[in-house]
Amino acid sequence: MILHLNHTRRDSAAASTSEVVGTFLTLFEEGHLTSAQFARLQIYLDWLQYKQNFREPVTVVQTAESATGGLSRMDVRIDSRQVSPGSLREFVKKAIRPAHLGAAGAQERIYLEDFRSLRTSIVWSFNQLYWQRLKDWEHATGKSYERALPGGVSDGHNPQAISDSAKEFWKLLKELDTYHQLPPEIFILEIGVGLATRAGMWLDRFCALDQEFGTQYYPRLRFLLGDYSLSTLDRSRPAVKNHIDLCSFIALDALDPTKTLSFLRHKVLHVHSSNVYDNLPDEEVVWRDNRLYWVQVRAYIPTEEAASIAANCGILPADTVRTVKRLLEVGADTLPEHEKGMAFWMSTWKAIRFEERLVDALDLADAELPTGLSFQQMEDILKDAPGELRFHLSSGALESFRNTLPLLHPRGYLQVQDIFVTDLADYCMGFYGPGKLDGSIVNWVNGALLREVAHRGGYDLHFVPFQYRAGSKTSILYTTQRE
Amino acid sequence: MTVPILPTTMVGSYSLPSWLERLKTDHFARRISRHDLDEIHDCALRSAIKDQEMAGLDIVTDGELRRDNMIDYFVERLPGIHIDRSSKKFYYDFYDSEVLGKIPMAALGLVDDFKFLLANTERETKFCITGPHSLCKRLRNKYYPSDETLATDIARVMNMELKELVKAGAKLIQIDEPYYSGFPEDLSWGVKVLNALVEGVNAKVAVHICYGNRYGKPSWEGSYGYLFPTILRANIQQLSLEFARRGGEDLDLFREFSPPFELGAGVIDVKDQAVETADIVAERIRKVMKFVPAEKIVVLPDCGLVHLPRDIAFAKLRAMVEGTKIVRKELGP
Repeated sequence: MILHLNHTRRDSAAASTSEVVGTFLTLFEEGHLTSAQFARLQIYLDWLQYKQNFREPVTVVQTAESATGGLSRMDVRIDSRQVSPGSLREFVKKAIRPAHLGAAGAQERIYLEDFRSLRTSIVWSFNQLYWQRLKDWEHATGKSYERALPGGVSDGHNPQAISDSAKEFWKLLKELDTYHQLPPEIFILEIGVGLATRAGMWLDRFCALDQEFGTQYYPRLRFLLGDYSLSTLDRSRPAVKNHIDLCSFIALDALDPTKTLSFLRHKVLHVHSSNVYDNLPDEEVVWRDNRLYWVQVRAYIPTEEAASIAANCGILPADTVRTVKRLLEVGADTLPEHEKGMAFWMSTWKAIRFEERLVDALDLADAELPTGLSFQQMEDILKDAPGELRFHLSSGALESFRNTLPLLHPRGYLQVQDIFVTDLADYCMGFYGPGKLDGSIVNWVNGALLREVAHRGGYDLHFVPFQYRAGSKTSILYTTQRE
Repeated sequence: MTVPILPTTMVGSYSLPSWLERLKTDHFARRISRHDLDEIHDCALRSAIKDQEMAGLDIVTDGELRRDNMIDYFVERLPGIHIDRSSKKFYYDFYDSEVLGKIPMAALGLVDDFKFLLANTERETKFCITGPHSLCKRLRNKYYPSDETLATDIARVMNMELKELVKAGAKLIQIDEPYYSGFPEDLSWGVKVLNALVEGVNAKVAVHICYGNRYGKPSWEGSYGYLFPTILRANIQQLSLEFARRGGEDLDLFREFSPPFELGAGVIDVKDQAVETADIVAERIRKVMKFVPAEKIVVLPDCGLVHLPRDIAFAKLRAMVEGTKIVRKELGP
């Protein structure tokens, strides 16, 4: 048995570790684990940052036997945050039972899908439902989505940060103007607009700067607000009402802005997004023994919880999967009473967990790295990585990033405010998602991979910690042209 | 061999396959020997030449696949330049290079490249080099009093090489000077340097000026208006400019200034993977012909195809050739 102390809390690490070792030894001595299982045990002790997540307190990660002679280990992951002193033994016994009993484990879980990469999991449909029907969710919880953010406010709305951003952009325009390179129309794109609070504040500040210096850049602005949700775009209009003649509201897919805006290729001088990348479809991989493994997930609801939800919402437990599918199609009105539909949505979302298994990338015919990243590049990146590393591919963020760059004017720049893991080694020292944030998913973004893709695309990436709020975990990514 | 009206050619580079990119980088990581890399380059170049022939181009280049980028291939050959070899991790990166003393006269070894091209095709050929202005903009000058004096000395060395190329049979030589667009204020002395470079070179000289194609994206934006009238002082026979991506607004300059040289008109957008149809190409050529007579037009892409996947690069060349045929047919025999 090998114990990996991954992300622990200083104040509780020692106690947790001794309890883990003692618990597994006792279970072995009592015959709950065979000698073969015990010898193969790899136990990972994690402290999950997000209270709401997709993990049981103790999870057995299955390992698909590799055709190329891969894994034969038994991985057990323990979320030390969810395990209270003295409770570990029962959680472990419960977790290893399906491994003992095989298919009998299925009786305890209602599966919502087959094993697949996280990127295509049903949970992203829940995430999409949340943003499409945000009003319903906010009405049911009685609070805006911003209040669900850590600290209850978005760093994206920090007035000083916005003021500095407007000033920086104005300086660029001034410089271009000096060299007679300022285009007649000045395009700016905001991807993921929320309520356009930031856009409104930014335009206010830019307008003031322009008036102060008499530069006449403001009337030449073409401010594009892009979001995949039409209702969000509608809700964003009031915040920019003072600048409405300069604004265009465009339905676009954050994964591929160029698809919608190809006519602006090489013309946009500033692209900005805030808290978008951390909410784009993602997947995880494991680098172990110089091989790459995909983390496949299977979403389920514990049968016990499903029964309770069904009883509260007036449906039969057997109808759970069907009702989930309908919910994702039509929202809370899938049930005759809207309130019960909301209760079903919220309690189901809260109950969803993942089973996990690792599959050797070589055994996956359809294993694909995000656009812009090849397996060879990945090997190059990982050649100096720790012996074992589980990390995000940040597929959605990479796709969005890569598909945004072609829009940039040669002197244009992209700014992304989000939560980034800027060094691959940091994945050894913390949990970075997936977590649940209200009705949505949150994943930190793998900045190290973004940097690699940017490099090959002709840009250098810089990550600046957000300095405008003490304790903020967000950083600002910005691009500069690579020579 | 004569070429037809509206001759077709590439600007210079052809699609760099990802496997070659990988092998070049392996060479910098000391995993592949120079000898093996040379053999790999030979195979890749033959393939690039064959692709151009199959696409139907009238004038072919070697595809420039030996070159890491448009700068380092020449900087490595210029004597007396100090190169920090540890500064390049990925083959496409630029070296950090410094000029610490006067650049002495020396052969640059480009003649062998040209002879390889000549030995592998029966079509008309074009040989391309990066011009002194662009080279000097990527060098850290610690010796010469100005960029102009550095570029002039580079031109002096390269002039000898161009003459050697002519002796070896080069009839069309292209000088790539995209950095003019990034530093338009240099153009006046840039043209003087260009004239020094081509002095006594008994071949048709073309100059290619685009807005950059580093990493497949433009490095600058603006108007070709900055070129005129200064560029009229250049002792060249052909000016190659990009029009497909940027549109044809600047074509008016050719009506206004009536330059004596041919126009190499970019009709293929190399920064977009969408393949143009032959009709689109034909339309772009017709547009150019409103400002420049057909006899003075050479048809080519906006810039090198190095950043495009091979299948797309080939399809674009085919479209260019087919589009040109449409217009030739309209012009009649």
